[in-house]
Amino acid sequence: MKKLLLTGIIVCLTLLVLLSPLAGCAPKPKAEPTKVLKVGMMTPTTGAAAEKGRVMGHANLDAIQYINSELGGVAGHPIEVLWLDSAYDAAKVVTIVKRFMDEGCLLFTTASSKEMSAAMEIANEAGFPGIACFSSPVLYRPPKHIYGQTPDYGDDALAFANFYLKNIWKGKSGKPKFALHLLNNPTGYGARDAFKAKADELGIEIVSIDEHTATTTSEIESLTRIKAKNPDVLFISSTPAPTAVIIKNAYELGMYPGVTIGCAHASFTKALIDIAGAKIVEGVYGTFPTVLWGENVPGMAKMTEYCKKLHPEDYGNMDYITSWAQSLIVAEILKLAVKNAGYDALAKGNPTSWKIVETQGFHKLKKYDVEGLQGPVTYTPGDNRLTKYNRIYQIVNGQIANPSEWVEAPLVEYEKYPWFGK
Amino acid sequence: MDLPCGTRNFDYASDMAVLRTRTHWGLFFLLLVFIFTAPLYWSNYWLSIANLIGITVIAITGLNILIGYCGQLSIGHAGFMAAGAYTTAVLTGKLGIPFLASLLCAGLTAGIIGIVFGLPSVRVKGFYLAITTIAAQFIIIWVINHWTSVTGGFVGMKVAPASIASFSFNTEPRQFYLIMAIAALVVFFAKNLARSRVGRAFIAVRDNDLAAEVMGINLTYYKLLAFFIGCFLAGIAGALFAHWSRFLNAENFTLADSILYIGMVIIGGLGTTIGPILGAVLIRLLQQGIMYITPVLEGTFPTLPAGFTTGIGPMVFGLVIILFLILEPRGIAHRWTLFKAAYRLWPFSY
Repeated sequence: MKKLLLTGIIVCLTLLVLLSPLAGCAPKPKAEPTKVLKVGMMTPTTGAAAEKGRVMGHANLDAIQYINSELGGVAGHPIEVLWLDSAYDAAKVVTIVKRFMDEGCLLFTTASSKEMSAAMEIANEAGFPGIACFSSPVLYRPPKHIYGQTPDYGDDALAFANFYLKNIWKGKSGKPKFALHLLNNPTGYGARDAFKAKADELGIEIVSIDEHTATTTSEIESLTRIKAKNPDVLFISSTPAPTAVIIKNAYELGMYPGVTIGCAHASFTKALIDIAGAKIVEGVYGTFPTVLWGENVPGMAKMTEYCKKLHPEDYGNMDYITSWAQSLIVAEILKLAVKNAGYDALAKGNPTSWKIVETQGFHKLKKYDVEGLQGPVTYTPGDNRLTKYNRIYQIVNGQIANPSEWVEAPLVEYEKYPWFGK
Repeated sequence: MDLPCGTRNFDYASDMAVLRTRTHWGLFFLLLVFIFTAPLYWSNYWLSIANLIGITVIAITGLNILIGYCGQLSIGHAGFMAAGAYTTAVLTGKLGIPFLASLLCAGLTAGIIGIVFGLPSVRVKGFYLAITTIAAQFIIIWVINHWTSVTGGFVGMKVAPASIASFSFNTEPRQFYLIMAIAALVVFFAKNLARSRVGRAFIAVRDNDLAAEVMGINLTYYKLLAFFIGCFLAGIAGALFAHWSRFLNAENFTLADSILYIGMVIIGGLGTTIGPILGAVLIRLLQQGIMYITPVLEGTFPTLPAGFTTGIGPMVFGLVIILFLILEPRGIAHRWTLFKAAYRLWPFSY
């Protein structure tokens, strides 16, 4: 029995090892008669960020299915997706982006800033355009071939600051005092850089900048120091669990209610309310780049229908909206490229096609409304953020509610500051 | 050493040769032809996987010298790779040092750090030594994350492609030749090291350190030498990874990677030259297989419970390691040896 099992395992593994490289030598299938438009999408479906990546992958593919089956594809050409699991692993991302280029994809998308960080150097060098969902300024400052689908972590900070000055601070004299509590990675550093660059211009005084880790369990010590500086605002740019710890600790120290708390979009989800408790986070503000589930916008009904039909367990998850919107933007870019340059110019999926997709697709985006699901999408020369708008929400009765109008985050040319990226 | 039926050696040189028969030379020639022509028929994607395998082979050949030959357990190998990766990134990117010099410096830096963290091996072994090497993993990554002015901290840093004089290894085929050449040199070095006085000392230390010491083997020297060589090769692998991936972040060198490397050495075959190659090829291709399978499963069975596919990778790797530990603890290399012995004796059964 043991020998049989061992032989079986060895045969299976040997076949896997021998056949996998042969796939690379296999003749490429001839072009489909339907003339597809091929795009590469990667999501961290396994690995450390799987709980987000899995939902985002579902949304990406559900939206493409909707586009192909109900909208007839893009200008009559179905979108073919090469969807791969990055496992949130940089080495895998490097191999995946090369595969996207090899297989004639016209552009690619990522679902996390880590994935795009690993892919951007290779993509930029080849001129292969990519769209990052959840982005940080380092991905596209200075702008090259990587674009941000949603406002980045720096934009969150500035959008919230603008909102605060206009709606909460209004009429008071002097500068409001901001204390920053930041996750020690690009999620936090994006906000730090934004305030560093624009605090004086906005008329804000930064009284303290503290960092925390993703696994923090207590921030009593840092918050005690912050409390002594008597800030008007505590801005947190982090993920849900550490943000919940910070708000709970602020509550325990008697800082909150009192101080205004603002959160960046990476943490502002239902998970924050679940972890911290509805009573503790009542009244907390947060930014988010999309509308809420159930809002009355043109794209909501179809997205909800597909989500409930194909992945009902994802209903209510804000990441689903973000990635659904990402696929809609991909389709719009391809539509513009086909309209302006014709399908034949894109058919080869080579560097020439990539350039056409950028110049005739990305660069022609103008006030595309993404069916109302996120802020309008416009390309502005020198600014690779496709959306510049965030909304500010507030937690009321345990729900994310009170959406503001779309708040524009100004362009910050970070590369002009000597400290950027160092 | 086993030779095919009817083959005899008549002098010491031919007895010690790595390639001893015409078949050996023929197969070696075919392998060279295969490697040198691979970029003609492999896509960039498959070349990138081959490059990743090559880098992994270099790293775990070092780990195999440390664990497989000298018996010193290390669970901080990814940390040592990080040390090499950041050394070359800083030297080439910020100080303008040529690639070859920085590659050597990367190896030396990782080797010296390895000696520092290997010092406890003089006093402790087994699980206790494993814990001290885990400390290396955490300390190295902590330093990288917090030495922001040099390493870019949590944000990470860009790395230019490797170049020698004006020749840049900026395409996948060029990187393939560079990485394969270095991997071949490393494997050749490991093969010869194992047959040398040093290699025999390592094996003696591994098998019974007390007996080795009684025979006159300097335990401190040879244990630290093993750490130096193992970590030197990890540093070289890290440097090649940096120039291949073009962007470094400490998240690329995790404790999970260190454990995976140990798994590769075990599956390939501890204490053999071919083991690291077989282990790296198997696990890296398995990872690619899982990358294909996950989206297919997600698409075909949309009703799978949430979280099922997310756990496929860890489940498969765990299962493979468990099965090997139970059914073939000496790894694929041992199976390969049995297979060679069988076909050399064929048609005789003994």
